[in-house]
Amino acid sequence: MSIAALSGVTDADIAAARQSQPDAFTTPAGMVRKWTPLAIAVVYVFASMWYFDFARLLDASDRVLSLLYNFVVWRDMDTWAYRQIYVGISQTLAMAFLGTFLGTLGALGVGFLAARNVMPFAAVRQIVRRILDVLRGIDQLVWGLVFVRAVGLGPLAGVLAIFVSDLGTLSKLYAEAIENIDRKQVEGVRSTGAGPIAVIRYGFLPQVLPVFISQSLYFLESNTRSATILGIVGAGGIGMIIIERFRASLYDQVAFVVLNVLVLIFAIDWLSKRIRLWLIGAKHDG
Amino acid sequence: MADTNMAGGGVSAPRDAVALYETHRAALRASKRVWNILALAAFAVCLGLSVWISQFYPERLASGVPRIFEYFGTIIPDLEWSNLFAGRTEEGRAVPGSLTYWYTDFWTYAALIWETILMAITATLIGAAVAFVLSFPAASNLAPNSWVYILSRRFLELCRGIPEILLALVFVFMIGIGPLAGVIAIAIHTAGALGKLFSEVNENASARPIDGITAVGGTWMQKMVYAVVPQVAPNFFSYAMLRFEINVRASSIIGFVGAGGIGQELNRVISFYSDDRVLAVLILVVMTVTVIDLISERIRIGYIGRENFS
Repeated sequence: MSIAALSGVTDADIAAARQSQPDAFTTPAGMVRKWTPLAIAVVYVFASMWYFDFARLLDASDRVLSLLYNFVVWRDMDTWAYRQIYVGISQTLAMAFLGTFLGTLGALGVGFLAARNVMPFAAVRQIVRRILDVLRGIDQLVWGLVFVRAVGLGPLAGVLAIFVSDLGTLSKLYAEAIENIDRKQVEGVRSTGAGPIAVIRYGFLPQVLPVFISQSLYFLESNTRSATILGIVGAGGIGMIIIERFRASLYDQVAFVVLNVLVLIFAIDWLSKRIRLWLIGAKHDG
Repeated sequence: MADTNMAGGGVSAPRDAVALYETHRAALRASKRVWNILALAAFAVCLGLSVWISQFYPERLASGVPRIFEYFGTIIPDLEWSNLFAGRTEEGRAVPGSLTYWYTDFWTYAALIWETILMAITATLIGAAVAFVLSFPAASNLAPNSWVYILSRRFLELCRGIPEILLALVFVFMIGIGPLAGVIAIAIHTAGALGKLFSEVNENASARPIDGITAVGGTWMQKMVYAVVPQVAPNFFSYAMLRFEINVRASSIIGFVGAGGIGQELNRVISFYSDDRVLAVLILVVMTVTVIDLISERIRIGYIGRENFS
């Protein structure tokens, strides 16, 4: 109580303050409400550690060490199939680029069909939107597997998988961008007697194009990442080489390929940022 | 060049100003046209190369596209109206054409989906805890010194840089097939992704409460606990819930490399030609993801209130 005495605050003052400003003090009920969710989370995490058998992590230490050792120590580098590796990387890039391009082209059409202020028929809009939901709801990797079954192993399946899942997501984003535009420009173009195509070209497109380009460039970045893993299900690209080398226990090559992929991803991110700035200025970035 | 022209133009009539404007505009337009043509050419080259590398040729498409529709035809189950709801026969066999026949393995799927959801919850909680701890040193305004700041930033970048599936592949090798590998892989990725978002939230936190705690002699830890956490907690929660939705999707496919969850079953039914089962599992996965999204949205809005939710 020395502090209270020094500053001239007595127990009675504190009691009076507690009386007049009850919300400023912690109450037992408040403490319970604050800590219960946290306690539940902690208990859950420990329970699930038991359920998922986290103890296995401890048993695996020698394998972890040998794997890490093999990741870092690179042997027989002159025998690695560099040509194959870089063909795989270029396939990954090509899949991402072509898939995003086709997805953008498709979304340009479908986005307008799903936008409330362009598509007057609610039934068409609803059907288009539900189809898009399904395309989006199924993961890209599942699409990859399905297309591998349909068109065979190789990058074509990857392009189609990226195209289909991008069509679902980009169309939705495009439709939202179209719905958020300023009506006045559209009405201005319409008042000159322009037909529906001209209204879209001169009323809508100038407003939404920066958003479209920006979104598509973001998708190019994210597709470069996902194209690397599409190969794991056989849909072409570097992922196929990674998993093949992994199964053959060539961990040093896996590490080399993954490093190359990370460099590629950083390069694409940087390039896409530059293109976005050059095309549409800093205003729409981010 | 423009300066000398301006000086010369000032002497004579304003017509020169117009001419100047026109020449300047023409020059600008010409240079812009050159750049546009160059950009278009670069784009066309990229497109051509991509088409060539990925063998995206019309004849391959023409032969492939019908097979896609054919495949979608084969995954549709043979359901018959007459015995759609037929139960099992006396010997315990399901009648072909009934829902029971289509979903014979329903309880296997249900158990795997339950496992998938548990994986997502655990991975989100562990990842969010790591991200929470690292988000304070990784925020430029809160970091105690630049070394800690750079180290924690780089660590978070590394965690989110590598795709989850690749991490899962490595962990499956290290600790064997099963959900544990998936949980760890998703948790690492979550830590990286949430760490970035959390530290951005921290960077936008008001400095006044921090100054207040500094003024009464609080340590770095006390500043974080009493000045920063109360400001940022609602945003952290919202981001963690959004990440949980993403993680449910991630854990439903991470089984493709043997890391547990419904993905394992999905991979099996797609690869082993059990075609009508593919649709059965896909329907369950899409339904689970949708239901989880709806519940999570409810919780987010209920917990934080509509006005704070963006």
